[in-house]
Amino acid sequence: MTNDIVLRVENLWKSYGKLQVLRGVSFTVRRGEVKVIIGPSGSGKSTLLRCINLLVRPDKGRIELEGHEVFPRPSMSISKIRERIGFVFQQFNLFMHLTALDNVRIGLIKVKKMSKEEATKKAIEALRMVGIDESLWNKYPAQLSGGQQQRVAIARAIAMEPSIILMDEPTSALDPELVGEVLKVIEKLAKQRKTMLIVTHELDFALEAADEIMVLDHGVIVEKGTPEEILRHPKHERTRKFIERIARRTQI
Amino acid sequence: MNPIAFFEPLRPYIGVILSGLPTTLILTFGGFGIGLLIGPLLAFLEVYGPTWVSRIATAIEETIRGIPLLVILFLVFFGLPSIGIQLSPIASAIIAIGIRSFAYQSQIIRSAILSIPRGQWEAALSLGMSPVEAFINVIAPQAFRIAIPGLVNQFTIDLKDTSLAYAIGVAELFTQSVHVAQVILDYMPPLVFVALIYFVLTYSASLGAGFLYKKLSIPGLGGGQQA
Repeated sequence: MTNDIVLRVENLWKSYGKLQVLRGVSFTVRRGEVKVIIGPSGSGKSTLLRCINLLVRPDKGRIELEGHEVFPRPSMSISKIRERIGFVFQQFNLFMHLTALDNVRIGLIKVKKMSKEEATKKAIEALRMVGIDESLWNKYPAQLSGGQQQRVAIARAIAMEPSIILMDEPTSALDPELVGEVLKVIEKLAKQRKTMLIVTHELDFALEAADEIMVLDHGVIVEKGTPEEILRHPKHERTRKFIERIARRTQI
Repeated sequence: MNPIAFFEPLRPYIGVILSGLPTTLILTFGGFGIGLLIGPLLAFLEVYGPTWVSRIATAIEETIRGIPLLVILFLVFFGLPSIGIQLSPIASAIIAIGIRSFAYQSQIIRSAILSIPRGQWEAALSLGMSPVEAFINVIAPQAFRIAIPGLVNQFTIDLKDTSLAYAIGVAELFTQSVHVAQVILDYMPPLVFVALIYFVLTYSASLGAGFLYKKLSIPGLGGGQQA
C-alpha cells in the first residue's frame, strides 16, 4: 500500500437550520485503504458522504481529493470532481429506464465520452466483476432483485474508475438473504485494494474488510482505530452500547 | 330506428361536413403542437428555475388554467385587434388552443418530472453528469414515458375543443355540421354524425397512444407490463 492520500477531510461542519449534523469532522483516506464509518442513525454518516461528493454543500471546512481542493474552492468543475468519486446509494438508484448494461455504460459514454464499443467492453468487465452474468445484462432494474440491483450499481461506480468509492449503507435496503452477495462483492473490491469509504452496520464485514473503523456520533468522530480495537475494545461507553445493540440485532 | 334512413337527409351534405375535417386537424395539431413546444419549457422552469422564475411560470400556468377556452379565443380574436394585432380566425383558434394546451401540458410534465425519485437525479450527478446532462439522459426519458397518457388525454381534449372555433366562424367540422343543419332544417342527423366523427378521432388517438405507450414501456416505469 502506498501512502498517498486520496481523500482529506478537515474540520467539516454542516447544519440544517438549527440542527448541527456535522461538527468538525476530520480524517484522511489513503490509496488502497478501506475505511468504515459506523454510528447510530442521525449521527451524520450519510450527510458526511454526501458532502464529500458535494450532493450536499458543507457549511465550512475543507475537502481535498488527490491533492485538489474540492471544497470550499473547487479546483475543477463539480462534475469533474464527482466523476472521480464513485457513489453507491442505499436505495441503489439504478436508472429505471435503462437496462443493467446501459446503467453501467451511460456514464462511460456520456461523461467519459468513450465509444460505444469501448464502453460496452468496460461495462461488461465491471458487470462480470460483480457477478452479474450475461442473462441479466438486458434486464431492467425492476426485473432484478435488490441484491442484483446493488451489484449493478457497484459495477456502475467501478466502471468509471474513480479515485475513491463512497458507499452509503449499501446493504441496509436489502432483504437479509441478499446482504451476503453484495458484501462478498465489496470484500472482493477491498482485496483488490480499491479505495473505499463505507458507511455500514455490518460489523462482521467491517471486521473482515476494513483497515480502519471510525465511529461517528452527533456529528463528530468519537473514536477511530483498527476493527479489532473498535469492535472488541471500544473506548467509549456510547460506542460499546451501539456495537452491542447492532451485534444483538444481527445475532437474533 | 334505421340508421340508413336516419342519415338519409344528410347524404348530399356529407362532403360539406367532411370538408371541415382538415381544418379541425390543423387546429388540433397546431394547438397541441404549440403546447408541446412551450409546455415542457414552462415545466422545466417551474421545477428547476430560480424561485422567482418558477413563481412566474406557475402564475402563468394557473392564470391560463383559470380562464375558459372560449374567453381566451375571444380575447385573441376580438381583443388583440384593439392593441393592433389582427389575426385570421384560424390563426386565432390555433393560438387560443395552444395557449390553453401549454398550460395543461406544463402541469402534466411538471408532475411527471416531480414523480421521478430524487435518487435518479443524485445518481446521475454522482456519475459526473452536469445538471443539463442529467435532465436529458435520465430525467426527461423517464418523465416523458410517465407523461404520455396525460399528454394524449390533453390531445383529445384539444381535438374536441376545436369545435369552439365555431364561435369565431372557423369552418371546422362542427361549424360545417351546424351549417348543414340549418340548410336541411334538422339538427339531429348532422350533429350525431359529427359526434361520431369526433368519437372516432379521439378513440383512434387513444388507441395509437396505447400502442406508443406499450412500445415505449419499460418494466417498473409508469404502468407498462410488469416484470
